[in-house]
Amino acid sequence: MSSDTVTGGVEATRGGSDAVAVAENGGKCILETRGVRKSFGGVVAVENVSIRVPQGRIVGLIGPNGAGKSTLLSILAGAQVPDAGSVWFLGEEISRQNPVKRARKGLTRTFQLSGDLPRLTVLENLLLAAPDQRGEHLWAALAGKRVWKRQEEALVIRARALLNRFDLRKHEDAYVSELSGGQRRLVEIMRSLMANPRLLLLDEPFAGVNPSLSRRIESHLIDLRADGLTMVLVEHELGVVERCCDPVVVMAMGRVIAEGTMGDVRTRGEVLDAYLAG
Amino acid sequence: MSNSDIYLLTTLLVYTGVAMIASWGLNLQIGETNVLNFGFILFEAVGAYVTAILTLGPDTGNGGVQQYVFGAVLPFPVPWLVAMVVGAALGLVMGLLTVRRLRGDYEAVVMLVMAVVAYYAVSADTSLLNGSEGLSLIPAPFTGAVGGGPNTSMTYRWVYVAVVALVCVLAFIVVNRVTSAPLGRALRAVRDNDAVAMSLGKDATRLRILVQMVGGALGALAGAMLVQWVGAWAPGSWTYPETFTLFAAIIVGGTANIAGVGLGAVIVPGIILEGVIFLPTFGPSYLTPALQWILIGVLIVGFMWFRPQGIIPERRRRFPALAVPGTAGESNAVQLVDLEPRRS
Amino acid sequence: MSQFIAATGFGIVNAGIFALAAVGFTLQFSVTNVLNIAFGAIMTLAAFVAYELNVVVGADIWLALIIAAAASGILSVLINRGIIQPFLKRGTSFFGMVVITIALDLMVEYAVEAIWGPTFLHYNVAAGSPVTLGSLSFTHFQLVAIGISVVGMLAIHLLLKRTKLGKAMRATSCDPRLSKVCGIRTSRIHDAGWFLSGMLAGMAGVILGLTLGTFSFTVGDSYLIVIIAATMLGGIGQAYGAMLGAVVIGLVTQWSSLVISGGYSEVVAFVILVAVLLIRPTGIISGVAADRNMAA
Repeated sequence: MSSDTVTGGVEATRGGSDAVAVAENGGKCILETRGVRKSFGGVVAVENVSIRVPQGRIVGLIGPNGAGKSTLLSILAGAQVPDAGSVWFLGEEISRQNPVKRARKGLTRTFQLSGDLPRLTVLENLLLAAPDQRGEHLWAALAGKRVWKRQEEALVIRARALLNRFDLRKHEDAYVSELSGGQRRLVEIMRSLMANPRLLLLDEPFAGVNPSLSRRIESHLIDLRADGLTMVLVEHELGVVERCCDPVVVMAMGRVIAEGTMGDVRTRGEVLDAYLAG
Repeated sequence: MSNSDIYLLTTLLVYTGVAMIASWGLNLQIGETNVLNFGFILFEAVGAYVTAILTLGPDTGNGGVQQYVFGAVLPFPVPWLVAMVVGAALGLVMGLLTVRRLRGDYEAVVMLVMAVVAYYAVSADTSLLNGSEGLSLIPAPFTGAVGGGPNTSMTYRWVYVAVVALVCVLAFIVVNRVTSAPLGRALRAVRDNDAVAMSLGKDATRLRILVQMVGGALGALAGAMLVQWVGAWAPGSWTYPETFTLFAAIIVGGTANIAGVGLGAVIVPGIILEGVIFLPTFGPSYLTPALQWILIGVLIVGFMWFRPQGIIPERRRRFPALAVPGTAGESNAVQLVDLEPRRS
Repeated sequence: MSQFIAATGFGIVNAGIFALAAVGFTLQFSVTNVLNIAFGAIMTLAAFVAYELNVVVGADIWLALIIAAAASGILSVLINRGIIQPFLKRGTSFFGMVVITIALDLMVEYAVEAIWGPTFLHYNVAAGSPVTLGSLSFTHFQLVAIGISVVGMLAIHLLLKRTKLGKAMRATSCDPRLSKVCGIRTSRIHDAGWFLSGMLAGMAGVILGLTLGTFSFTVGDSYLIVIIAATMLGGIGQAYGAMLGAVVIGLVTQWSSLVISGGYSEVVAFVILVAVLLIRPTGIISGVAADRNMAA
């Protein structure tokens, strides 16, 4: 795939910093990688990966174990720095920015296994994620509650509305360590939403979740897309990907081997080979 | 109460108050943020030395019996405040040195090593802070106003206890405000999982350095208060195992609970280490301290096994019911996705 | 020049003792992933057990050394079985385990003080005449200390590279879960790690007592920090790294005393350690630590 549509199609919207690229299908492209490569001690995990994430879509990232999906997600989130290539978010290169900076720009992620804050309550998890909190500054904290109380109350109201929407309101005082695996995934998604993300990276949010809760998480994701949220979904379960994702990116051995709708890619021979070999 | 009882009791109270403030400082680091500061005692040492040289005057005084750098005589409470600033600066240095950490154990060892290096350096260099002999004849504060010093006036001893108590109250307010605010929530997120905290835009590095500085200021304040009560300070006063009595206080009282840590400071450094002054002596002179340390070890292992959360466990933070403005109850309508651009 | 040679001689003796202890410390860490601060107290205890056997009972010092080392190994296994493993099974954090070993360290060290008192003791041994090797002059005990250390290091090398137990230990340190799946009985490997480490601690403790001449109940803990420094300098969990770190620390501390006051020798050692850790946080030879970090 060439990058000329991107460089050629940059348009400045609402001031220069928020330039977005135009994807081939005409939608705006908010995240892009160009020729990203990452190796660990000689083992190449990701090789020459260029993908584009159009605004308002759920991009599926699939592939057999060891395909490099999670490494790519870490590179997008800033937990890993690519050896070569670049990552662009909202028209700005972010290849070497740390996760903190990316999160503050609206790029948030969930974690595959270890995303819990076990000794914070569900409500605290949500409140934590809100950006620009006055009470997080030392002087505001020392000055006392009156400085940050109003903002905190507004956040509590917002967080409870979110908990109501996800049916977890009655668990707001539970420690995350007291919840089931599926409920923890929901908390993680809600927490990410409190951060006002522009793009949400989901690392196997259905792993170890029972089928009925999986269905609920899935419908929440579809609702969020209807609200305009863009997502990248790393997933093993192809049924979910088929129902939610467009486009789908297939990786194997660290490379992108196919891209398109699920219907497209499932007919490709190399995709079948990769899965059978994996 | 006889004068000798008052003498012992006021000593016990001052030591307990000092340990309480230091324990709160250390708890901000290990209990709230998981900054494993095995060299915390260095903050107390620095606070004590700074206060000593800011009250002793030039080292030609007292017949030139001791050598040290930069002697001055500053009025109370300036030396304590300067000590806090220097403690915070040391916290900044420790924080910056351990920022590039790969593993928690390296961070812990680097901090422990810094405390040990400082111990050997201060002991070896007699011109810096009078070497292993240490500083003595450090004057007590506000003796003029009270009309007597710790060794001449029982009133003075009670006044000092009152000052220490007041400082404890102020320190409690500071620590409570930090941990109750959204700042405390961010610290606990770093403690529980720093990768998650960073993915939510919380600058874990900055927060770690911040608790090094706040904890460092509190540790230095504790040292400042102690040194003007005791009147002497030497490397033997701050060997690295002293940090573990504060660890014991935190574990016994309740990690990440301010009241619990305060209680732990009363029990371990207070009752167990200092309370024995009320007991009749028994056995050879070394036996009691040895048994105290054994008891502290037993308490740590016992609590870690039977009650790892401590006597007063960490508080579950609940939030009061709030009505949405302009409506009768709560809403579940929420704007989830922010499509507006943001400046950053 | 002669001063330099003398310092080198002392440095080699110290390096030998540090190496015994540092290899014991690091082996136990790599096999069990527990940073055992009680190691220092076990060194002390061994020195005092040997004192009891040598001075009170009247045994030969070398017999006392062997018995004390074996007793330290057994005590370490008991500590592992009785305290460490139960806590690990509960999922106590790494930091929690460090705190527990600190508590054990306090208990053992001060139990030694409660039993034998705070005074300095010495073994009942004949000093012997100094042995001159070229321009280096060693006491009898210093030579034996170097000899034991060299033999000990060779034995550890052969154990790790040639025996089934050593291979199982290395496998367990690389990947505990995989080793278990492969049929290695990890609990026995852990016991072996603790026994070896305790034995080396015991040997180092007695030899330290011998070469120092006199020692008190703080002998082990006062050297523990230097031993940890040697271990981390070499890269924690690395047996050969610990040997290298011990040689570096042993020699540098002695050489530095030629240039600046001997009181600063520890300062120099620790400054080197901190500098190395800042440049290369996993130590000179990184392996176990880095692997585990990556896997985590």
